[in-house]
Amino acid sequence: MVIDLEKCTGCQACTTACSMENSRLPGEHWQDVIFYNEGEHPSAQMKWFPRPCMHCENPSCVAVCPTRATYKAEDGQVLVDWERCIGCKYCMIACPYGVRFYTEEKPAYGGPDAKRVFAADDGHSWSPPWKGPAEDWKHGVGVQPSDVVSKCTFCYHRVAKAPKGTADLDPQNPALREFTPACVVTCPPGARMFGDLSNPNSEIAKAIGNKNGVRLLDQLGNKPQVYYLTGEGGAVPANRSLPPKKA
Amino acid sequence: DKVHAQPAAEKGGETVITKSFCHQCPARCGIDVYTTNGRVHAIYGTLDNPLSNGKLCPKGHLGTYLLYDPDRFKGPMKRTNPKKGRNEDPKFVPISWDEALKTVADRLNALRDKGESHRFALLYGRGWGAVDAGLHGTFGKLYGSPNIGLGHSSTCADGSKKAKLYLEGTYDYSAYDYANCNNLMIFGASFLEAFRPYNYNMQVWGHLRTKAPKTKITVVDVHMSTTGAAADRLILIKPGTDGAMALAMAHVILSEGLWDRKFVGDFKPAVQPKDPAEPRLPPHKFEAGKEIDPALFEAKWTHGLIEWWNAELKDRTPEWAEKITTVPAKDIVAVARELATVKPSIALFERGPTAHTNGVYNGMAIHALNALIGSLWAEGGIFHQTGKTPWGKLDIKSDDFMDDYAKSDDRKQPKIDGVGKKYKMASAQIQRIGEYHMKGDPYKLDTIMFYLTAPIFSSPECNTWEKALQDLFVIETSPYPSENAMFADLILPDHTYLERLQVADTYSFQGYPIGMIRTPAVKPVYDTKFYGDVLIEIGKRIKGPMGEYYKQVGNTENIVKAMAAGFAEKPGDNGVNDFESFKAKGVWYKKPVAYRQRGGEFYEWDKETKSHSIPMDAAKVKEKILKTPTGKFEFKAGYMEQEKYAGYINEKLGVPIEKVGFPQWVPPKYTGTGDLHFISAKLPIAAEGRSSNLPHAIAMAQPTQGGKRDVFVEIHPDTAAKKGIKDGDVVRIKSKTGSVEAPARLYAGVRPDTVYLPYYAGHWAQGRWAKAAVRTQKNSVNEVIENVSDPISGLACYYSGMCSIEKA
Repeated sequence: MVIDLEKCTGCQACTTACSMENSRLPGEHWQDVIFYNEGEHPSAQMKWFPRPCMHCENPSCVAVCPTRATYKAEDGQVLVDWERCIGCKYCMIACPYGVRFYTEEKPAYGGPDAKRVFAADDGHSWSPPWKGPAEDWKHGVGVQPSDVVSKCTFCYHRVAKAPKGTADLDPQNPALREFTPACVVTCPPGARMFGDLSNPNSEIAKAIGNKNGVRLLDQLGNKPQVYYLTGEGGAVPANRSLPPKKA
Repeated sequence: DKVHAQPAAEKGGETVITKSFCHQCPARCGIDVYTTNGRVHAIYGTLDNPLSNGKLCPKGHLGTYLLYDPDRFKGPMKRTNPKKGRNEDPKFVPISWDEALKTVADRLNALRDKGESHRFALLYGRGWGAVDAGLHGTFGKLYGSPNIGLGHSSTCADGSKKAKLYLEGTYDYSAYDYANCNNLMIFGASFLEAFRPYNYNMQVWGHLRTKAPKTKITVVDVHMSTTGAAADRLILIKPGTDGAMALAMAHVILSEGLWDRKFVGDFKPAVQPKDPAEPRLPPHKFEAGKEIDPALFEAKWTHGLIEWWNAELKDRTPEWAEKITTVPAKDIVAVARELATVKPSIALFERGPTAHTNGVYNGMAIHALNALIGSLWAEGGIFHQTGKTPWGKLDIKSDDFMDDYAKSDDRKQPKIDGVGKKYKMASAQIQRIGEYHMKGDPYKLDTIMFYLTAPIFSSPECNTWEKALQDLFVIETSPYPSENAMFADLILPDHTYLERLQVADTYSFQGYPIGMIRTPAVKPVYDTKFYGDVLIEIGKRIKGPMGEYYKQVGNTENIVKAMAAGFAEKPGDNGVNDFESFKAKGVWYKKPVAYRQRGGEFYEWDKETKSHSIPMDAAKVKEKILKTPTGKFEFKAGYMEQEKYAGYINEKLGVPIEKVGFPQWVPPKYTGTGDLHFISAKLPIAAEGRSSNLPHAIAMAQPTQGGKRDVFVEIHPDTAAKKGIKDGDVVRIKSKTGSVEAPARLYAGVRPDTVYLPYYAGHWAQGRWAKAAVRTQKNSVNEVIENVSDPISGLACYYSGMCSIEKA
């Protein structure tokens, strides 16, 4: 995935599209946008940073999972098998990007707990009337059971149906739209692109090359598969350099 | 070993996509509603729709939740607790639709029997076309009340429309050719938060920020919002003084010779002395402080430029404006030069500058810049809607159903909102109705009905409505437990938008007509009824020919089908030509914009060459484009100079009669006595106010203002220090009219003389999450805002209030 920070308006349509597509609990922002500000006008800055799961090439979450519930899928996604997850949260600690969520957190939004209001009695953690038809616990898709960790799947249930070998999933192409991750489909300024990083002819590979694609906390060695284009616009925060590890 | 086993999948049918359009702001984005097994589970933007283009804003996706909001009313109800108050349980009991409709009809018939039909008022907010708000006119005419369909535009954005009416002769919002614009200046419109069409604005933003050349964007506001932060330049201006800045920009553009001569006109050549030995005279020019003989200037598409310069602009130097606006003179010069030279450019404005006592003049000053730089109707410029959706209509003439009662002169009662009398130039004045009713000025109402508006929360001094609604029979049509509903005697719950069949036009965003249709994605979840059908059903129960009329109309579906039949002769660009194809595509549209201005000449679209190439003469331009008395863009607005208005403006604002037509500086009247300006703009996730009970929305309210369970008061750290306020302290914002409490967020992105609390939280009804005890803010920001209107536009002065602030 490529996110162009010069285009991103911080609207959070990615957040809500994902929430509804993936039947997320309120506040369980698989596609989060983090706002921060500093300084004083006229040099004050307010910035925002869209932050999905990085689906690392070298994911620290997978290494620490005691039940092999978190795993690396064939096409490169990092997924959680909810039938194996025991909710130990090791992965949440290991992940340097803060993109994993535990079902049983207290609601951050205040007021009644949506899990109780839309209660489930069939092993799901809750049952919103608007939940999507896609359900695949082996790949962390759908409404999760209680006591598990969940995270962005890159809309595995959509992407997995795309014709094999597709270089780019362009949501403006009617033939590919339904296979494209929800956040990419909706992003109003078109800041998100999704495609095959391993294909040098893909549009995303070109965009990374042409427009200074960078990865978040690259120095940690996780090798995220989400690239940010900074252009003249936003900056990737806290990208400090650390001494290289000895081989 | 398996810890959790996935339950067996629901036996399921196919996923069906229904075409509809969003209801969460006036933009009307086309949406694809995904339904499986009778349940809606996703909403995406429609790809083949010129507004949504497959995209949606953050609110759009949450429409699913609006359908399944557990706090929705489940059917019609009546009140059994006669006491009304914020803490009184209305003790609603369910009733049948028959009883509900009969109750209304009986009251309405009784009023008519007494000759008091004017005492029934119907107030509405967002109208969606012919089958809801579009029914009001006929209903009022047949029933005999001037108060049917009193709109909320005076709490929305009437100021910008009025400014454009006076200068250009068109009473409408603007259309913009953003995609081709190289310089965009935004005065007080939260372009990336609340300015319509939000979704399209963001689409175009992505293009503007990455095209070559990159579009330069300047934002003028009172705090750093998302829009200001994303722009190239943010200018923080003293509230209500945008007009002074725009006048100074006009001064710079003229005195530096940067105006568009082909559109505006030019000086005649200086008449040189006959004697070749005499020194040559320089060309005429605009010089600060110096009057000019109007005879020296030859105008093109503008009227009154020199008169405007002499009466106003010659003294409006950047140095003068700096004293008023606090914006450094050099910044004003810089943005003026940029606006006039990095073209095409647009000066855009909305509620920020216009929701003040001097709002129309602020708006006129800004919009006049568009004329000076030749942006009107230009590629990359600003213009208006052209063309209309070719709706058909039912062949039933309502005039044939007016009885003697409806035709009687006794029906010519003044409107309850004072429009036309006290407010001579306004189009609406919803914010005054409660007060006028209580005073019996000019009479007391008996029954009041609300559709998509809740002045009890959204109007300035909204708490006065809690008194006003005491002795009224109140009918609420919202499907949600609104503040109105808590004071209602009768609940006639509407379908949510995903349950309705409805058609509407979009606003003039793109400049060409776009007609949309909503088809129900699911059967109504509860025992609700579409508001348009409620009106028709009430109409059927009114005695005499009015009842006959509505029996013939039947229902809204008949109207929708008749309207879609109009496409047969004029198919849309997407091939839509009847009801079925309309339902399948969800939208009818016909490009392009009919007219363009190029190099100071106007051209009409030529179907043959597919270009704007048919020249338009002055008469045609006056008829179609510049519909002012002179057929020009009037820097000296003839509309305002009419005798019936000039005296009124003079009386209300003290502007000399001979000067009323010019965009000019009129100091804003700040209301109240505090030491800080109070501003309450909208958050992107909440704009248009439909998300207060959505836990998803609450969980993501951003940025400095929001976050999770609370919204925050933005206070400059220096201001906070003086008042002993620390970050996170709960503070009380007080004015003459009321107070509101919320946690403070120390934020150096807000002006030190201003505090900002978004118009979002503070619901004391509207559902379990909206009014959850955990929320610090317990009442509407509008209780702090004095009920003052711009006397010209009638727009509520939401941003003119002063307040004081203290630790709670």
